[in-house]
Amino acid sequence: MLTAPSLTAEALTLGSRLQNVSLHLEAGLMVAVVGPNGAGKSTLLQVLAGLLHAHGRIRWNGQDLARIPFLERGRTLAWVGQESHAEFAFPVREVVAQGRHAWGDDGQGVEDALAALDIAYLRDRPITQLSGGERRRVFLARALATGAPLQLWDEPAASLDVRHGLEVLKLAKGLAARGATLVVSLHDLRTALCFDRVLVLDRGALVGSGPPEAVLTPELIHSVFRVQARVAQALTLELPS
Amino acid sequence: MKGRTLGATGALSLLLLAAILASLALGDANLSPGTVLQALAGRGDDLARTIVWDIRLPRTLVGIAVGAGLAASGVAMQAFFRNALASPGLLGVSAGGALGAVAVLAMGGAAVSIWTVPGASILGAFAATGAVVLLARRGASPEHLLLSGVALNAIFGAGTSCLLALSAGQFQVSGQILFWLMGGIENRTWEHVWIGLPPVLLGCALMLPLGRSMNLLSLGEPSAQSLGVDVRRLRWQLIGLSTVLTALATAVGGVVGFVGLVVPHLLRLGFGPDHRRLLPLSMLGGAALVLLCDLPTRFVPGGVRLGVMTALIGGPFLLWMLRRNPC
Repeated sequence: MLTAPSLTAEALTLGSRLQNVSLHLEAGLMVAVVGPNGAGKSTLLQVLAGLLHAHGRIRWNGQDLARIPFLERGRTLAWVGQESHAEFAFPVREVVAQGRHAWGDDGQGVEDALAALDIAYLRDRPITQLSGGERRRVFLARALATGAPLQLWDEPAASLDVRHGLEVLKLAKGLAARGATLVVSLHDLRTALCFDRVLVLDRGALVGSGPPEAVLTPELIHSVFRVQARVAQALTLELPS
Repeated sequence: MKGRTLGATGALSLLLLAAILASLALGDANLSPGTVLQALAGRGDDLARTIVWDIRLPRTLVGIAVGAGLAASGVAMQAFFRNALASPGLLGVSAGGALGAVAVLAMGGAAVSIWTVPGASILGAFAATGAVVLLARRGASPEHLLLSGVALNAIFGAGTSCLLALSAGQFQVSGQILFWLMGGIENRTWEHVWIGLPPVLLGCALMLPLGRSMNLLSLGEPSAQSLGVDVRRLRWQLIGLSTVLTALATAVGGVVGFVGLVVPHLLRLGFGPDHRRLLPLSMLGGAALVLLCDLPTRFVPGGVRLGVMTALIGGPFLLWMLRRNPC
């Protein structure tokens, strides 16, 4: 895997969807982006990936993103969106192998990615015949196959069952441990506690940024999400060791 | 899959070759395959050489241009719109071409020169292309383009209907217009071949290397861009090539429906959605389908036109494939 670039955003503004968002993320961090519906989480991820144009500036390792060629972006960054609709019946393996587009379709790491997302048994199935959660895992595997050190995932666990949700979290931790930067949007604030850093968005503005225990205070949670937060004994779910 | 692809390419190439031979051999005067080959080589009797070189070869080559161009255009449109129901006529290009040709026919311009009808058709189609490009330049989404295509189709269609109604009293002119609107490749000359075939082959050759990127695009624009595709450029290439191919096919073959929709669809059902396979297979299949559909029009007088045949053969075949292979 390449070394992840540092990611700097300066005064990102896109209508009312993003308002003057600035941030700096060092390599090797697991970053959770949280906020209510419509807060701008998906928009921020797409802007950071260079898929949506916003006012302001984005730099990878100090280099202006707009000046980085598309193929180099494809080698450095992988983005997984929320939409998992597929019109054409590509077999799962071919979809995952698309992750190697920027590397001249060399097929490297495709089998590992299939195994990591637990979809090797689906390899020959048309993607159109899979469930929403299975498709999500296929697109995550494609992102993994890119070998990109900067991974931006938009609500990756949204349609996954408990076990696969935990698997994806474990996968993210493993990638971060190897020096990748992960920026992941989430709804579950309890999951966000496992991340190195949390960004809280509210109506397009960045209202909190830092380690989760410092940012996710009951006061902030109440002001952003309009819910009461209290610490209590709760059911915990873990993967068997 | 590789062996299957090679097999399919071989089978479709053979089908096209057989269709070419049949197209050269069959008609008012039936020629044996040996006579056709001799005539092609410039030998044999004068009549056979005249029939093959001056009448049937131009017709066959124009048929190849129409079929390959429309099928390739259909593949591009379907990848662009990520919808297997997209077709070359979707953006109003063939309706624009039809209006141009019909305008010239209505004014009696067909008698002026052999270039007037295809020339006017290309002008009309390019005017429609211009409108599409203007819309696309403003960064229009596929949905926006699709609705603009609906509007352009309605506008050009209204113009064509109006001209047809105005010409209703003139039996010969309205007949010419109706025949053109139903598509056909009879009475084609080498001028038509030069207008249609080289640019269509060039367009197809330019489209072939885009198959890999089309695969990514057909699973979503943002994800394709994140994987390293210059989506903006690819969209331009697909819209440009697809509209030019449709314009050329319409200019030399009239309005031939269904080829651009049904050929990619059938081949996708049979050989999967990989555009690196689908593009060349569709070009071969489209050319073969148009030539085969042209054959009955030579023997049945009256209403059996090329556009009628492509729909009559393609439609039931698609229904049969869909029954066998539900999407």
